[in-house]
Amino acid sequence: MSIKQSFIARPVNWNKIEDPIDLDVWNRLTSNFWLPEKVPLSNDVQSWGTLKPHERVLTMRVFTGLTLLDTIQGTVGAASLLPDARTQHEEAVITNIAFMESVHAKSYSSVFSTLCLTNEIEEAFRWSEENPYLQKKAEIVLSYYNGEDPLKRKVASTLLESFLFYSGFYLPMYWSSRAKLTNTADLIRLIIRDEAIHGYYIGYKFQQAFNEESKDRQEDIRGYAYDLLLELYENEIKYTADLYDEIGLTEDVKKFLHYNANKALMNLGFDALFPKDDCDVNPAILAALSPNADENHDFFSGSGSSYVIGKHEATTDDDWDF
Amino acid sequence: MGPTAELAPESSILKLDDNALESAMSYHELNAMINLWSADGKMQIEKDKLAVHKYFLDHVNLNTVFFHSLRERLSYLVEHQYYEQQVLDQYSFNYIEKLHNLAYSKKFRFETFLGAYKFYTSYALKTFDGSRYLERFEDRVVMVALTLANGDERFATHLMEEIISGRFQPATPTFLNCGKKQRGELVSCFLLRIEDNMESISRAINSSLQLSKRGGGVALSLSNIREHGAPIKQIEGQSSGIIPVMKLLEDSFSYANQLGARQGAGAVYLNAHHPDIMRFLDTKRENADEKIRIKSLSIGVVVPDVTLELARNNEDMYLFSPYDVERVYGIPFGDISVTEKYQEMVDDPRIKKTKIKARVLFERIAELQFESGYPYVMYEDTVNAANPIKGRINMSNLCSEILQVNTPTTYNEDLSYANIGKDISCNLGSLNIALTMDGGNLGQTVDISIRALSAVSEMSDIESVRSIADGNAKSHAIGLGQMNLHGYLAREHIHYGSEEGIDFTNIYFYTVLFHAIKASNQIAIERKQAFDGFEDSKYATGEFFQKYIKQVWAPETTKVKEIFKNAKIAIPTQHDWEKLAKSVAKHGIYNQNLQAVPPTGSISYINNSTSSIHPVASKIEIRKEGKLGRVYYPAPFLSDDTNEFYEDAYEVGPEKIIDTYAAATQHVDQGLSLTLFFKDTATTRDVNRAQIYAWRKGIKTIYYIRIRQQALAGTEVDACVSCML
Repeated sequence: MSIKQSFIARPVNWNKIEDPIDLDVWNRLTSNFWLPEKVPLSNDVQSWGTLKPHERVLTMRVFTGLTLLDTIQGTVGAASLLPDARTQHEEAVITNIAFMESVHAKSYSSVFSTLCLTNEIEEAFRWSEENPYLQKKAEIVLSYYNGEDPLKRKVASTLLESFLFYSGFYLPMYWSSRAKLTNTADLIRLIIRDEAIHGYYIGYKFQQAFNEESKDRQEDIRGYAYDLLLELYENEIKYTADLYDEIGLTEDVKKFLHYNANKALMNLGFDALFPKDDCDVNPAILAALSPNADENHDFFSGSGSSYVIGKHEATTDDDWDF
Repeated sequence: MGPTAELAPESSILKLDDNALESAMSYHELNAMINLWSADGKMQIEKDKLAVHKYFLDHVNLNTVFFHSLRERLSYLVEHQYYEQQVLDQYSFNYIEKLHNLAYSKKFRFETFLGAYKFYTSYALKTFDGSRYLERFEDRVVMVALTLANGDERFATHLMEEIISGRFQPATPTFLNCGKKQRGELVSCFLLRIEDNMESISRAINSSLQLSKRGGGVALSLSNIREHGAPIKQIEGQSSGIIPVMKLLEDSFSYANQLGARQGAGAVYLNAHHPDIMRFLDTKRENADEKIRIKSLSIGVVVPDVTLELARNNEDMYLFSPYDVERVYGIPFGDISVTEKYQEMVDDPRIKKTKIKARVLFERIAELQFESGYPYVMYEDTVNAANPIKGRINMSNLCSEILQVNTPTTYNEDLSYANIGKDISCNLGSLNIALTMDGGNLGQTVDISIRALSAVSEMSDIESVRSIADGNAKSHAIGLGQMNLHGYLAREHIHYGSEEGIDFTNIYFYTVLFHAIKASNQIAIERKQAFDGFEDSKYATGEFFQKYIKQVWAPETTKVKEIFKNAKIAIPTQHDWEKLAKSVAKHGIYNQNLQAVPPTGSISYINNSTSSIHPVASKIEIRKEGKLGRVYYPAPFLSDDTNEFYEDAYEVGPEKIIDTYAAATQHVDQGLSLTLFFKDTATTRDVNRAQIYAWRKGIKTIYYIRIRQQALAGTEVDACVSCML
């Protein structure tokens, strides 16, 4: 009886916004909504054929790795943030994040089914289940998602969104700077556009909660964040070498990891860890990374990554006054 | 032979080569650096020059086949089926050598990495295995001039000079293919009608395949096809409407991919009062079902004036069954002026109709433009009011700048032709406004260009599609375009869309029109031949010339007066027009159509121009194409000095763009590809308002709508130039 009395179900009221960032992010995320079917991936079939066999294997592995991360984030990660949402609007945003992560996870499958044969796909998925570094990465993140501390869960989530994805994102950006798999790169850029916002938002919510904590607890969390980052970083270096050694890009990817690790820390409101000199990412990759939708694409070879769902507003009689 | 290496200006190399890190960078990376701020927060445009330099050193020069002499080169290329012997046989070797040396003496240099990269990736002749280059820019220009001049040495020299100076740039298919033995067509733009019968639909698919195979972009009109649920053989509810036809066309274009070079490209146009209009638009929805979703086919809507009037009054608009309309009037729906017959058709009980809210249609169009950039819009009545040729214009093309009349083709039972109608092809070429003004002889530049485009028309005979071949032979329609308007204005310290900017646009286009008609008239005199149907045109009656004879056209601002005076370019007077009108009435003009302003993608990069006559999308443009990947392109003449005059298209906003295009439109017989740019703060209402404004200002067509979304504060890449406002 007493439980029933204390529990009041409240409908979410979007006319009463407690935190304007919730609304901003919601609007941005919904206007960014997309599905993989929008991208004409089949235009990449010929380009796929020009990749060498080991480059194809690498690409598929990178994508299964990304699929795994998106699966975790969609099914466990985002959901684990729900219980300690500060506002009901935040809950709504998090469910949107969770859904889009599942869209991302599915979109890699669209790439596979367009470009590869079934046995190759199965081989790549088997690899993802057997690769020790990838499994370790999943294990570390999952252990924190299942942990008790809501702040630590947010740290883990931000690091995943803003740091862990990027060893994988590097490759499609690299290919597209060489005019290969450009439509796949469009799709990845749509994912990056989403992840950039996810990382920023979860980091922002983390900072809000963090600032309310005592000095001691703040120190504890800060220490934890750097520890976790380093733990993930060490594993990520091995994962990167395992993937990229064969085509000789490991060092370049590492710089990219440093750059994004700093970015993730920034999202959490912490100081950068890696000195600037270790972050001089290949300009072709960095320039390709811009989440702005300002690309002037050629409509005949792709759909581009720059269209958004429009805000509808009816015209009035004044508009038609001619 | 000419120089073996192409180098960026000495000064920039010496300064930059000291940096060991940079010399270790690839040209792609150097090019990307122009989109990033330097450590001390400066733009790094000079890195692009270094990228060009590197590209030649590390790639082009290593992969270019070396010949000891021109004679050796030409005989090798002819013998191995790279060059067409007939082209060279029209000239003496001495002349070819002279032309070749003259071309190399002009010291052409690519100003940007994208220009050079684009040329070598897409235009230069390569060995059949695709591994080595057989041409430099100069060689290509010479070959184009020799081909189009047809043995006329004087003309070949003039044409070579116009092209290598950058004043005149032929469109891609012409520039790419001239003189090559294994080549596609010199024209690339086709427009086909489809009638409301299976023979015509299947012929349209066949023609689309054939034209795509030859490198063309094809637009088709669907307005005549009966709607979803219309009767077949009088049995109601049988027809599946236009969507399945769109699907068939889309697949046809994907199949014919020009040896993998690029996918065939197609567009379809539909009248706003066709009953399938909403289904047509919904094919571009983000969440459309896979069965009806159209990904790579472009779509355009033909909007008559009555639709806007109904929207103004916030009324319903009626959609008319093309099947019934054709039975009542005896002519296809697309050939009816809906504005003129609207009330009559509403009142006619024999015509089945449905209704939607007119404003809802416009809002739906705007929503889709946000999501996909489509549809294009063609204001049908504006287009027809400005059309000097007898007949009706009911569609446009893939870039919405071709506007010509067409007539239906009919077929026999065995699918052979009963009566071959007229379909449309158009060959294009554009002037670089800045260099044309600098050249000081605008009349000659236009004359040579019109002659070059006419030559392309004469050399084209698309036998696989008879209605196109016949249409071309009768009309010799061409489209002289313009580009680098923003580049020129910025260099002259004029803001795009300002009073001076619009004044210049008006007078420039006015002057070009005069010389274009004059050149076409001159050709008609020389060949004693005008285009078929000249006597029924407004050129013949003199009606076309009235606004130029009765009204003074002169610069209104001091700045523009000065510009023309300093360039020593005479502005035609009323008296000049009177003389020209008389000569035209007597001898006719050779070309049914003369001008059309295309969007100029690739050729403006090679030519170091801003595209077409719209403002730059960004000072540093991020260009992405299937064959090139992501490449960065700095606006021409960009420097600290011109920086403030390079407000980008999103900042400039739709009104100034429309005003500029309106000034040009009044002097262009066909259309101008007009893209509108919005920030993501815009709503569908802003898009609708721009469309209404455009219509009021007499704009004929609207091409893409582009939306720029800024990264959410806090998520941007710090070092990125194109992110900065």
